Amino acid sequence: MRAAILVALAIFAVPTSAVAQEVVNSESIDAISVTLYRDPGRQGGGIAAGWPGGYALITETRTIRLPAGRTIIRFQGVSQGMLPESAIIGGLPRQASEKNRDALLLSPAGLLDAHLKRRVALRRTNRVTGAVVVQDAVIEAGPGGGVVLTTPEGVEALGCSGLPESLRYASVPDGLFAEPTLSVVADIPSATTATVQLTYLAEGLDWSASYVARVADDGRTLDLFAWMTVVNGGSQGFERARTQAIAGAPNKEAAAAQPQAPDPVLHLQCWPMDVTSTHPRRGLPAPPPPPPAPESYGVTEDIVVMAQRRSESMMDTPLAVSVIMAQQEELGDLKLYRIPEAVTVAAQSRKQVAMIDRKKVGFERVYTGRFESFERDDHDDENQPGAASAELVLRTENRKTNGLGLPLPAGSVSVFETANGQSLLVGESNLQDRAVGDEVEFGVGDSPNLRYQVNARPRAGRRAPFRVRVTNARATPEVFELVIPYDVARASETLGKRKGQNVWRTTVPANGEAKLEFALRLEQDDGS
Amino acid sequence: MRFVSLIAAAALLPAAAPDFALAQPAPPAAPDVIGSAQGDVSVTIYQNGQALVQDVRQLDLAGGRTRQEFPDVSAQIRAETVSLAGPGIGIVEQNFDYDLLSPDKLMEKAVGSVVTIVRTNPATGAETREQAKVLAANGGIVLQIGNRIEVLRDDGLPVRVVFDKVPENLRARPTLSVTLQVERAGRVPASLSYLTPGLGWTSDYVMLFDEAKSAIDMQGWVTLTNNTGTSYRNADVLLIAGNPSGPASRGGYNPFSRFGGGGGDATIDQPGTESGTRERLGDYYLYPLAERTTIANAQQKQVSFLDVKGAPGRKAYEWNNAWMGTGGDFRSASTVLKFSTAKQGGLGDQLPSGTIRVYMRDARGDPQFIGESRVDAAPMGSQMSIRTGDAFDVKGMATVEKRERLSSSRWRTSMRYDFTNARPEAVTIDAGQDGLWGDVRIVSASLQGERLSADRMEWKVPVAANGKASFSVVFDTRY
Repeated sequence: MRAAILVALAIFAVPTSAVAQEVVNSESIDAISVTLYRDPGRQGGGIAAGWPGGYALITETRTIRLPAGRTIIRFQGVSQGMLPESAIIGGLPRQASEKNRDALLLSPAGLLDAHLKRRVALRRTNRVTGAVVVQDAVIEAGPGGGVVLTTPEGVEALGCSGLPESLRYASVPDGLFAEPTLSVVADIPSATTATVQLTYLAEGLDWSASYVARVADDGRTLDLFAWMTVVNGGSQGFERARTQAIAGAPNKEAAAAQPQAPDPVLHLQCWPMDVTSTHPRRGLPAPPPPPPAPESYGVTEDIVVMAQRRSESMMDTPLAVSVIMAQQEELGDLKLYRIPEAVTVAAQSRKQVAMIDRKKVGFERVYTGRFESFERDDHDDENQPGAASAELVLRTENRKTNGLGLPLPAGSVSVFETANGQSLLVGESNLQDRAVGDEVEFGVGDSPNLRYQVNARPRAGRRAPFRVRVTNARATPEVFELVIPYDVARASETLGKRKGQNVWRTTVPANGEAKLEFALRLEQDDGS
Repeated sequence: MRFVSLIAAAALLPAAAPDFALAQPAPPAAPDVIGSAQGDVSVTIYQNGQALVQDVRQLDLAGGRTRQEFPDVSAQIRAETVSLAGPGIGIVEQNFDYDLLSPDKLMEKAVGSVVTIVRTNPATGAETREQAKVLAANGGIVLQIGNRIEVLRDDGLPVRVVFDKVPENLRARPTLSVTLQVERAGRVPASLSYLTPGLGWTSDYVMLFDEAKSAIDMQGWVTLTNNTGTSYRNADVLLIAGNPSGPASRGGYNPFSRFGGGGGDATIDQPGTESGTRERLGDYYLYPLAERTTIANAQQKQVSFLDVKGAPGRKAYEWNNAWMGTGGDFRSASTVLKFSTAKQGGLGDQLPSGTIRVYMRDARGDPQFIGESRVDAAPMGSQMSIRTGDAFDVKGMATVEKRERLSSSRWRTSMRYDFTNARPEAVTIDAGQDGLWGDVRIVSASLQGERLSADRMEWKVPVAANGKASFSVVFDTRY
């Protein structure tokens, strides 16, 4: 006899909505296939932290027991970022006549909205005695701007008295779902068990190639290895999924705006002054999980190397040995990479599978610079630009003779070299899509050892002369290239052409320097 | 001691119970379940995110002048477009009220009137009731209780405020009301019609391309979205492929702006001249849905309207240089799908504007997405070309070989165009040069091209399997 509990039972009428169609819920997925597409806005490079900008084509195979007649099939557990307008349903006895994506959510505000002008139960608890009073109430207004109820005593506002009050609903109204739901309407000639394929595009996934180039000790060849890095930013994982990735640039239009569900949070608002101590503030949503760790190029094997005390055998195979490797196929004008085994692409995760492994790729070391024209200030000869550092690139042609000859999808590149028996990162860069036969350059970074200085000399007529001096602090002769994307009138050395642009290519002697004098042809109206 | 107070509270409760027992016989007057007030609804949806709703409701009207409310209209109704018609009824006035009921408003409207306040003793849980007059609601509620002046709940203790009634003219939702002059009392079918933003449609196409057979299968779905805040039950739906002009984008952000006519860059090579068999309204085609359907709020609904199998379709490559300059690097050519909407050798239907998603089977036979493109509304008989993406293996580069000055306003520009093909079969690239401005002449060219317009010239460049090709053109430019 702790407290006498007085309960005035409210009588609810079960909503009598006549459902002419059978509703079948499809919850389980038998098999799933995920094909990843890169972020169309990212030309090269790795995937930044945050919501992935790419997308995926997801095909789910589901077994559904279907009754005869008109049936609504609700698909549950679809990917979060689904673009419902792209959904295709195959395997039904007859083509689905209608597809719906419903976004009215089962939520505090959604329940209240569905019960507007309807009878609900209002439950009050006496804080001291624990006595519970349940009354009938009709919702007069809400959920926006607060909730007004008519009770047997009069008109009251919910949550404004400072007493524990809550609403009780008899049932979940039709048309409210736990998550945005895709359903199809299909006419089924006779009861059957169908194997249905649901195919759709979903956002929030991405992939990139992550190259690791290890320069051999002789400095003439490199071992090129690439991970297929897959990112799933959604909260839906894909268990044992057949996984593919598409390289190339399929056209992707901006996704259409989905109809927005009304705010699911019920904000109880009261008259002025009700600002403290009354109803507890609704908790803020939990902070998002920390961004995934950045891609780890070779970090793992570095740890291995340390643990093995740099044993010679580990140095011979500096890369982790991959047992499975994504296989490349042609898909129209795109390239498809297929992981040969089903893998799990977990929610909010990064996954890496080997996709390219080439040994002894021949390359050329080139230090590059780019000339930009400028006007000399006659009164300030001191103020010529300083020496710029040349950028080192490892250049090769994507051919079999060089140890390549395969499509190289865009991605990020890390170049490693060995020093003191240790494999160390020397530079990172981005790579664009490179077809067979294309020139491939792996950028290493600016070199402090090769620097080039450009001096403008006094102009004479329609000529703008310049002098270039390249210095090499390395103990080896190095190839240097300077792109001069202008109309050159004369030059002290022979200029070549590279991709339609003038280029000076020279070998700078070890610990030496090289010089070029040239003049640009000015247009007649120049300088006006 | 605490136990004693509990007993005391328990003893108090039966005394309080008759209060509720007395109140219970007068339950609030509301049905347990309210169906929609909508009648026979038909919805006509345009592609610019606007819809015409017609709703025939059976009204039980008293004779003479009577005020009638119309709940369950679009929450975004354009009130100025409302019209109501029915036998024997005349309109006196139409009102659209959006003074909404909320606790705040309830208190504001109670200023000057008497409310009941119920205090709960925090120690005993006992309730006491008092009558209070609301004097003001400015940042706090000032009450007069007997001859005391108090501020409601400024001590933080629980106080219930019970109002007598919901003030008139405050509603849960924006409400349309019409004052009618009714000739004869009785049941009258009244036809309500209005325009509303927030309902729009576009089309989504699924195209399966079979490269080996040069054939396409195409399915068309109309995709309609309801953002009006209201569901339309069992509605007769008609879609109109077209954008009637008008103040459709009232009120700033229009989520349907993408449904507008500007559908992508020139997807129609040659507009068709065939008339479709579908029903028309003026210049617009009509797409009635076969069955009545419910368009729920916040719903995106798709209904099939086109299913064609085995129409011819072929792949081509396009590469374009927008100005007469050096590109600096090879750029991928676009992969283009060409097909027709003609009755003969085509899809045999006009296409409302929308998005075509193209799929292709991979080595295992699974369809894979290979790109999508927005398309403009295309009449039947049109030659279509849609860009699905960039070709990985087919690239081109333009280079200015030489630019000579002939006179103060004439230049001679020698261009070279290089193409590479890493595919195992020969391809032909439709290469284009824009920026000819009408006054550029061709001095010489190593490949015969076609001057498509004053500004543009095109060449068909064959490139061998795993090969390269190039050609040169000398332009005479006036500047």
